[in-house]
Amino acid sequence: MVDCFEKYHPVVNFVYFFAVIIFAMFFLHPVYMALSLSGACIYSIMLNGKKALKFNLVYMLPSMLVLACVNPLFNHEGMTILFYLKDGNPFTLESIIYGIVSATMIINVIIWFSCHNQIMSSDKIMYLFGKVIPASSLIFSMVLRFVPLYKARIKTISNAQKCIGNDVSQGNVLRRARNGLKILSIMVTWSLESSIETADSMKARGYGLKGRTAFSIYKMTLKDKVVIGLLAILIALVAMGACSGLIYVNYFPRIQFTPVTVWSSFVFISYFLLCYMPIFLNIYDEIMWRISGQNV
Amino acid sequence: MALFELKDFSFKYPFGEDYALKRINLTIEKGEFITICGDSGSGKTTLMRQLKPVLAPHGEKEGELLYEERDINRLDLREQASKIGYVLQNPDNQIVTDKVWHELAFGLESLGYDAAEIRLKVGEMASFFGIQHWFHKKVIELSGGQKQLLNLASIMAMQPEVIILDEPTSQLDPVGAINFLDTIKKINRDLGITILIAEHRLEEILPMSDRVFVIDGGKLLIDATPTQAGRLLKEMNHPMFYAMPSSMQIVSHMVQDEYPLTIREGRQSIERYFKNKEIRVPRLEKSHKPASDKKAIEFKHVYFKYEKEGPDIISDLSFSVNEGEFYGLLGGNGTGKTTTLNLVGGMLKPHHGKINLAKKRIVTLPQNPQALFVKKTVLEDLRDIAKDKDAIDRVTKLTHMAYLLKAHPYDLSGGEQQRLALAKILLLEPQILLLDEPTKGMDAYFKRQLAQILRELTSKGVTILMVSHDIEFCAQYVDRCGMFFNGDLISEAPSNIFFSRNSFYTTSSNRMSRFVFENGVTIKDVITLWEKNKA
Repeated sequence: MVDCFEKYHPVVNFVYFFAVIIFAMFFLHPVYMALSLSGACIYSIMLNGKKALKFNLVYMLPSMLVLACVNPLFNHEGMTILFYLKDGNPFTLESIIYGIVSATMIINVIIWFSCHNQIMSSDKIMYLFGKVIPASSLIFSMVLRFVPLYKARIKTISNAQKCIGNDVSQGNVLRRARNGLKILSIMVTWSLESSIETADSMKARGYGLKGRTAFSIYKMTLKDKVVIGLLAILIALVAMGACSGLIYVNYFPRIQFTPVTVWSSFVFISYFLLCYMPIFLNIYDEIMWRISGQNV
Repeated sequence: MALFELKDFSFKYPFGEDYALKRINLTIEKGEFITICGDSGSGKTTLMRQLKPVLAPHGEKEGELLYEERDINRLDLREQASKIGYVLQNPDNQIVTDKVWHELAFGLESLGYDAAEIRLKVGEMASFFGIQHWFHKKVIELSGGQKQLLNLASIMAMQPEVIILDEPTSQLDPVGAINFLDTIKKINRDLGITILIAEHRLEEILPMSDRVFVIDGGKLLIDATPTQAGRLLKEMNHPMFYAMPSSMQIVSHMVQDEYPLTIREGRQSIERYFKNKEIRVPRLEKSHKPASDKKAIEFKHVYFKYEKEGPDIISDLSFSVNEGEFYGLLGGNGTGKTTTLNLVGGMLKPHHGKINLAKKRIVTLPQNPQALFVKKTVLEDLRDIAKDKDAIDRVTKLTHMAYLLKAHPYDLSGGEQQRLALAKILLLEPQILLLDEPTKGMDAYFKRQLAQILRELTSKGVTILMVSHDIEFCAQYVDRCGMFFNGDLISEAPSNIFFSRNSFYTTSSNRMSRFVFENGVTIKDVITLWEKNKA
């Protein structure tokens, strides 16, 4: 499916992922983690479909289990002792649960990052960097231009050398190493030579004149402003909740939750809205599209 | 008011012994379309770079060079950047950023426009060039022709008065090149922008040009309309005449004072001449005896694809090349020609069918000669392959490299680099030589030299398989041609028969004369036929 969150302004995307990932790292409250993890999973499946589902099940689930099992072997705190290990150390219920929790946290962050990588294209990152350090956006763009170009060039050289029997895949180790160095040396000379032409092309188009601006294809629309406002409110609510200790859970020596109050359910709902925001925005988009009647 | 004016302009490189440009006088008016021709090393590039001071090499200058009646060096940098556009040869090296939209905006960013203005100008330009569909694409996804159009568009976005182009199509395939030249024509005709272009494809560019400058040895030899330039070159018996369009070369040889520029005019001339006349000799008899009947390369029902799920790039391909034969594979882009070459070279393996190779030593000449250069001088570079002094002597003689042995490989011109690469390859003493677009970016003179070298090799029994877009080269020098389409050979014949059978995919001489003669494929053929039917 086509994601609509991606089409928002880079600042919106960035603020969102920054907040969600930071929260995911610091909130070890099981309920909050479940919210965040389910949001991340659903969104990653919306973005990547079956591939994400497979990734989550095949890689994330087993690594979570492994991490959960490893923790109690090294962590012996906690009151509820289940049995003693061979070396005499206790094996506690609390440490098992803490293992599961910390593993979930790591998985959660990884899945959020996978969504982040899908949404934050190089253009967007460049734009954000460009706001902070203007020269960096051009450098970044040039790096992204030249890395694939040089990769292709190395391939060309390697193929040409293969034709005359001098590739890294031919001969013994010493010869391979020598051929590899030769390819590298050709690559450097060729690239230096061609960069003169690149420099000419930049000069010809006025690079180096005073007052260079940085153009971007992004425009802050009303929609972006509304979403950013909403984001700010939700983030503020959740942060305040966290500061007042509502999301804190004590694992050792005994698991203790803070009691549920009206205020804490507010924070809870805010966090839910925050984690599910891209999903809700997509649903909202879908509804608007249906209403417009275009898809008849 | 003249756009550029040169008065007795001379230029000498810092350590040069002789002047690279000698007392040049010329004016370029606004809105003119001017073609500059001259062999490599004649001073074309030196002259054009002088017209854009930021790109001009250092050296001694004499005389005057005016832009809109002001000394060009007094032009401020901002004005110079936006008013004088310059397109270079290599499409890849000129691109600075990773995205099409960013590249289009690059010049405007330098000039300090704000986002709204840039958006407008870039949008306007993308629509004019019809490239709005690739606006969000990565540069790496574009073809060579598209990249060069992008370079042009990103200069056009700065709204220049004049665009100077230095052999912009030499790295492009024919379709991309013609598309590019048509765009240039459109810019000149619809926007009145002055064009100054150096080009090898005179066949396409001369009919568009108002004037032609012929540069020879740093001097402005001719400054005239294309027709007059043709006449003057012919009268001087200048080698540059052999770069003129085929129709001009043929018709001016036979008819007094006619210098047609296009195929259409050439065809009209020849048909006017033979109107109501009987054609006694409609075809030339040519022998097509193969040099040997032993097969050097043989493909039997070969299939190849890159991915298991992907389409067959080569399907049911069967053909053979004889020992000592020069075989040319022609066809459009992406039809599987280069893949076939890689199959012969052993870089790829077919998933069905059989490839029989009678000889062991097979080498490929890569498209980019730079991919082979390792050392500081030509001689050291050759020694890198073979130590044997006799072998090096033999090869340098064959490839006419002897006078260049001390030069740095990167200081050679395009044609010389190509020859050095060939020399290196030949030191491996190939029995089968594979060539991928060897004539790309070569001028007429270097092409003739290359053909001579290849002839000499085939006469020694070397088998040559070449992939090329260069129809004229194939028609003149290749023994047998095959037409590739959709992963298979759809037609194959000795080159004379091959081209006389085709009606579109054939030489300009043939397109011009096919309604009169049956097999006038090269300029020489048509002239011979015409002479036989003369009286």
